[in-house]
Amino acid sequence: MSVLTLREAPPERLDLAGLTPAFLAGLSEIEAARLPVGTSRRGLTLGDCFALTLDGSDDLRILGATDRLDRVGAGLAAGRIVVEGDVGQRLGAGMTGGSLEIGGSAGPFAGTAATGGTIRIAGDAGESAGGAVHGAAAGLDGATLVIGGTTGERLGDRMRAGLIVAKRAGAHAGARMIAGTIVAEEIGDHPGYGMRRGTLVAARHGALLPTFAETGRQDLVVLRLMARSLARLSPEAAALLRAPLRRHSGDLATLGKGELFTPEG
Amino acid sequence: MTAWIDGQAVERDAAVAAAAALLAGARAPLVAGLCAEAAAVQAAFDLARAIGASLDPAAGAPLYADLGALAAGGAMTTTPAEARGRADLVLALGRAPWASGLLHDLAAEGPVRGRAAGRPRAVVALGGPGDGGVQHVAYPVDAAGLPASVGLLRGLVAGRVAGPHPLADLAVRLREALYGVVVVDPAEIGALGTEMLNGLVKDLNETTRCFALPLGDPHQGRAVAQVAAWSTGQGPRVGFGRGHPEHDPWRFDAARQVAAGEVDAALWLASLPAPLPAWTRNLPTVALLGASQDDAIRGDEARVVIGVGVPGEAFGAALWHPGRAAIAWHEATAPRPAASPAAAILAEILTQTSADLRSGLAGRPAPHPEPASC
Repeated sequence: MSVLTLREAPPERLDLAGLTPAFLAGLSEIEAARLPVGTSRRGLTLGDCFALTLDGSDDLRILGATDRLDRVGAGLAAGRIVVEGDVGQRLGAGMTGGSLEIGGSAGPFAGTAATGGTIRIAGDAGESAGGAVHGAAAGLDGATLVIGGTTGERLGDRMRAGLIVAKRAGAHAGARMIAGTIVAEEIGDHPGYGMRRGTLVAARHGALLPTFAETGRQDLVVLRLMARSLARLSPEAAALLRAPLRRHSGDLATLGKGELFTPEG
Repeated sequence: MTAWIDGQAVERDAAVAAAAALLAGARAPLVAGLCAEAAAVQAAFDLARAIGASLDPAAGAPLYADLGALAAGGAMTTTPAEARGRADLVLALGRAPWASGLLHDLAAEGPVRGRAAGRPRAVVALGGPGDGGVQHVAYPVDAAGLPASVGLLRGLVAGRVAGPHPLADLAVRLREALYGVVVVDPAEIGALGTEMLNGLVKDLNETTRCFALPLGDPHQGRAVAQVAAWSTGQGPRVGFGRGHPEHDPWRFDAARQVAAGEVDAALWLASLPAPLPAWTRNLPTVALLGASQDDAIRGDEARVVIGVGVPGEAFGAALWHPGRAAIAWHEATAPRPAASPAAAILAEILTQTSADLRSGLAGRPAPHPEPASC
């Protein structure tokens, strides 16, 4: 297992995009130490900020991480990155495969444009987890994002495909969704604002938009299939999907082919 | 003009030298405010590029409510002048249009050109306090708020929401108008609400003509957006830390950066009035402040303070023209030849900063500095 150990709290945000196990496997420790990671004109390198131990394996461990580490795991295609600590914005951006495991919390836009692989965040996530960055065509785009804690506003904003499981989410969860699935124990006010398609499932929710229409209790085979597929990832989410669910259709402001499932009663 | 260092009055050259040294020695400088004439904003971008700074205008938050929606889905917009000439229906969305003065102008006359010429002009309102001096029809906002009401209106216009509804009549008015205009402050309904409004306008253009008329901010934000576009090809929240302009509205949000301790020096540019953030007194900051009177600046607003002339007042300048919705030349209304334009001060700071960087007093270290310098 290769290990990057942060020497001290970085004085500036660091950009770790592209530092995947496969990429590091092709480099010596001296070459890797020269990789630029700084975001100021000081030109900080990986070796300035981290102690490196590389063994060419497809497992990478980042120790002592802080919320100033941006784009951790961005572009990951295979292998596993385990982070002890927090990470900054755009965790796993554009990843296509492999797994990311974060012991702490993540900044905004976790999993943005990720088309494959699995991201697990043990703590909280910032705004727009699984959401699109400014001007981007889509947020989460096929990957799986599991958040153990609370997320900020706009969870899954403009996501196009994939699955998000979270404990709690702020307002506007599933805003502008193109497609995909979000399952959460609790979501805030006005979920699904501007969603075109996609599925939201929540045990509890805040105020609903006037452009969501209740369509009654639904006993759908697809929900049972989803519960089965979720059982290994999140037993709580799977249990939620097995309960009797009431369906709301929306957002009728846009295409209106999205849906919000909540427990009956 | 006047200049101060640590609250003590100094010669301007000394203040410029202190400003250059402060900025040249910074790891992550910030250039903020940008509430100034186009030439000064351009000079600020040039300085930021040289010293590796990030930029964020005072109008950043309201500006990005509009830019976010524009980047996400585009927009069909018009100008106040076109609205006055062509609109037969004006929808005032929220509170801001009533504070702009624009509705009085629009209500006073009817369309004189285009397909609606000769028709009466109706003013309708969704949300907002209204105004007894402007004849209008007021519609109620849904309990879920103004952005939700915009979504509801969009659903009604498209026929996806049916049945009797308080906003159904407004939807019919919008569909039947020959040239509708929706006046809105994007900051009031946020980026999501603005994107929904842009969608409503686009839906209406399937069968008739309708445009959004976003109100500008009072801090030159729309002029800054244009300067940023022609200087970097991107929005104003850019950083030059890595030598090229990186656009990141979250990372280069000045308030966030300062709160997170990511900035070690700043330049605040406000040759026009703009609320001074509290951090100019806590963070090593150079403030370029415009004032009509010399005694309007106290000198303790920042570590280094330099008074500059007010554009459009002390000297002619290119500023945002709300009526034309464009950058336009503003003649001096009270010429003061002794007043230095902010652009000239920034050019002097840039010259001295470049000299500091070349002499090795500050700037980029060796390519591979000693470990633990992180």
